[in-house]
Amino acid sequence: MINQTSNRQNKLEELKQEFDELDVRDRLEMLLDFSDELPDLPESYRAQRDAGENRVHECQTPVYMWVEVVDGRIQIYADVPRESPTVRGFISLLVTALSGATPADVLAVKPTLLTELGLVEALGMVRMRGLHAILHRIKSEVQRAVGETG
Amino acid sequence: MSVTSTESELLVSTDWVDEHRQDENVRIVESDEDLLLYQQGHIREAVRIDWQTDLQDQTIRDYLSKDSFAELCASKGISNDTTVVFYGDKNNWWACYALWAFKLYGHEKCLIMDGGRRRWELDGREFVRDAEPDYTRGSYAAKDPDLSIRAFRDEVLQHQAAGKSMIDVRSPGEYTGEMLHMEDYPQEGALRAGHIPGAASVPWSRAVDDDGTFKSHEELEQIYLDEAGLKRDDETIIAYCRIGERSSHTWFVLKYLLGFDNVKNYDGSWTEWGNLVGVPIEKNV
Repeated sequence: MINQTSNRQNKLEELKQEFDELDVRDRLEMLLDFSDELPDLPESYRAQRDAGENRVHECQTPVYMWVEVVDGRIQIYADVPRESPTVRGFISLLVTALSGATPADVLAVKPTLLTELGLVEALGMVRMRGLHAILHRIKSEVQRAVGETG
Repeated sequence: MSVTSTESELLVSTDWVDEHRQDENVRIVESDEDLLLYQQGHIREAVRIDWQTDLQDQTIRDYLSKDSFAELCASKGISNDTTVVFYGDKNNWWACYALWAFKLYGHEKCLIMDGGRRRWELDGREFVRDAEPDYTRGSYAAKDPDLSIRAFRDEVLQHQAAGKSMIDVRSPGEYTGEMLHMEDYPQEGALRAGHIPGAASVPWSRAVDDDGTFKSHEELEQIYLDEAGLKRDDETIIAYCRIGERSSHTWFVLKYLLGFDNVKNYDGSWTEWGNLVGVPIEKNV
């Protein structure tokens, strides 16, 4: 089960290719589109958020994130303020690319993802830490969930 | 506080910007921590200049070259005599950094819109999502960097040894050495924590009110002179933080709102000092 990959991995590969074909300006435009499209946090998670649970503390922006494995598939829910479009856009991209993926897909995402998406070039080196932290958080939550279910 | 709470020739109100944003000899520049904020919504006539991807060299840890600066200005429709008004997010933190970089290259007419994005938003003024305006190229001849506003590490070491005035503008936890970065930021980037011995701690954000505008002259004097101990006859004052951005905000306050003649920003800041071998560091004072 854990080693199974899915076509969701292809979704991330597609996005990498799409970003790669764009110039810096259009990459930023696409990231902003992702920011616009982040789904609202489902009602059932809001009380937890309001209680300050599931905050990604490695990230300066108040980001709340839930990473769950249901029937062997990943589900990610997040709440990110609109005043932080860069972080919001990157999380939305990951939600799009990884929701429905298998744990193996997620654990196989390379730490060089931001470079592969051309975001280091578009945003600059100093802005990368918070974004790396988000990817790392998703992977460690998946690792933990997989560990718990054996 | 009032919209423009501190008297300074370099500080203008949102009203002023609203009235002058279409002036030919005025260019409004947005500079933010979050690069996408400008695209999400900006003052209609504003261009974007990013502190990191535009103003810094992308290979060497330094600012862009004199020629690249001239090209950047020309491409944004800025000429040598253009009045450039900076504004941005986070209480103009990055706007002050951009202003400092412009001053480094000797741009004369630089202003800050008091209160930045926040004040503009609180006023209920318009943000547009249009593409960046494409202005006619400016004509720009850059000057050599003005190093009277930039401090390098050897100079800071001498300054420290001589017991001269310094302001550490980082958060209290970073100053005492409990943390390497502000709370909620990743704790990395330096091998040692603490502060440069002799530096007074004044977190940069103490200079602003809740609405993002700068505090009054009297309030600023109380913070920086009465509390932090700066003296009117201080020969030179050095401000530093972690990478030189928060301290450019304090540099602006000291130089232009309080009128100190010689204030330098140490842009190497803690990510340089906290990694240097053998330099003095003080903790938990």
